Amino acid sequence: MIRRFGRNAIATVFCLVWIFPVYWMVLTAFKPTGKILQPTPEFLPVDVTLDNFAGALAKPGFLQDLLNSVVVVFAVVVLSTVVAFLAATALTRLEFFGRRSFLVGVLVLQMVPVPALVIPLFLSLKSAHLLDTLPGLVLTYVALVLPFTIWTLRGFLHGIPVELEEAAMLDGATRGRIMRSVLLPLVLPGLIATSVFAFITAWNDFLFAYVIMKDSSGYTLPVWLVSFSTSTGTDYGGLIAASTLFALPVVVFFALVQRHLVEGMTAGAVKG
Amino acid sequence: MLLEKARARERTRRRSPLPYGLLMPAAALLGLVLGYPLVRLVVISLQDYGLRSLFTGKTGFAGGDNYAAVLADPQLLPVLARTIGFCAALVAGTLVIASGVALLLQRLGRRMRTAVTLCLIAAWALPNVASTLVWQWLFQPGYGVVNWLLTRLGLGDLTQHDWTTSPASAFTLVWLLVVWQSVPFAALTLHAGLSQIPRSYYEAAALDGAGPWRVHRTITVPFLQPILGLVTILSVIWDFTVFNQIWILTQGGPDGGTTTLGIWTFTRAFSRNDFGQGAAIAVVSVALLVGLTAVYVRRLVRSGEDL
Repeated sequence: MIRRFGRNAIATVFCLVWIFPVYWMVLTAFKPTGKILQPTPEFLPVDVTLDNFAGALAKPGFLQDLLNSVVVVFAVVVLSTVVAFLAATALTRLEFFGRRSFLVGVLVLQMVPVPALVIPLFLSLKSAHLLDTLPGLVLTYVALVLPFTIWTLRGFLHGIPVELEEAAMLDGATRGRIMRSVLLPLVLPGLIATSVFAFITAWNDFLFAYVIMKDSSGYTLPVWLVSFSTSTGTDYGGLIAASTLFALPVVVFFALVQRHLVEGMTAGAVKG
Repeated sequence: MLLEKARARERTRRRSPLPYGLLMPAAALLGLVLGYPLVRLVVISLQDYGLRSLFTGKTGFAGGDNYAAVLADPQLLPVLARTIGFCAALVAGTLVIASGVALLLQRLGRRMRTAVTLCLIAAWALPNVASTLVWQWLFQPGYGVVNWLLTRLGLGDLTQHDWTTSPASAFTLVWLLVVWQSVPFAALTLHAGLSQIPRSYYEAAALDGAGPWRVHRTITVPFLQPILGLVTILSVIWDFTVFNQIWILTQGGPDGGTTTLGIWTFTRAFSRNDFGQGAAIAVVSVALLVGLTAVYVRRLVRSGEDL
């Protein structure tokens, strides 16, 4: 009894500490400016206002950069999902020379520390005249998420019995038809999980967007947020409200697929 | 039996270009955007790639000059020590807290467990740019709530304290942020691992009269080892390459005091426009990281044998 009480007490303290930064972010976003900048902080939502959100939306560049983010993320999700689905189908359904080396290659690429690629990617995109363009950014993100996406989809496809496709084949369905009508619906949960991963990676990335997009009209939201934070100094209400808006879709999507993310990231070692 | 044979025949017949066609887009993208830059990184590190080369596209072969310059740089040792020390502190902090939370999760009631899980997911899901900006605000000199709390706790008047003015407190600031964000993945993964240990083992141990410590040592720890190893390796990789949080909070300052290998590579290349030396530092960091994770990488490649 006392033990159980102790555990619950520790868990409660842990929850309070861990959730506090998120709580403080949301609370600050809804506070009127006067209450944000006061020496003794208020810990409960007394006055609630949407002014900070309105202010953030009206800031120069916000809507433009939000649009950039949305376009980039959409392209990355579609491209990476299609490309990975094709690759994963080949890897799980067909036997061919080089299959194993491809898989090992994918695993090794997933281990590459991404920041090390910034310099050569920057210079390569420059020589390809893709620097400062959204397609350049899209290509970068697609390649960054592919190892994870291929690996995860491969796991999902493994779970689908081949007999289903064989039955369809006996009924005279073509390969394209089998992919569309048999595999695709069954692998949908996997496609959703990998799309969300692609979404989060592209939406959250700061480093590559910061290096590749030099002109402020091409910024994505994270770069906009950071430049906003260095340029304004004291408008914490606007900054935190903008951060909240930026974080919101990620938190929602993330909660939906969190389980698959754990599985995907641990895939290599626990052996898929 | 028949089906097996039919399948085997199918496989031999499938010497078709189809699989390669399906793999082509993925292979092309991975090769061009990840593989080629990796090779190019090494090439650039052997060239005198500077501002001039950036505009003319012409570079000269520099041999080992960049590496020699980096090795002779008086900043090298402090940067190395900082990177490794900071990485170790982050990994240790993350693992200790995460193991505690994972063990705690096993022993909590359903409701409390859900509450802890939700808090973990919220912290994990927050994009790191957003959480870094929130950190800036939490620790802001003047109105930051953390300074206010510390002052209230009787640590003296800290309300105006700027955390980024000394390397030690700046590292503390980043450490708190990164650990806060890394604990959820580690804790939830370890919790998943713990949940897979069959209950019957514990029951048998209880029947044999084993105490809690004994049970922990002979059942929990050995069973958890593979997952714990994995979480450690991933933490090492992630913490070794922490960039955004340091860059946004301190830009590597004050006076280079929080410059880690990642920041050093970046400033060498993009502030000083010395891409050759920047690439050389990046190559050294990758080599170091591979060294740190060699055991795991070897197992990974070997596991490719039965893919």
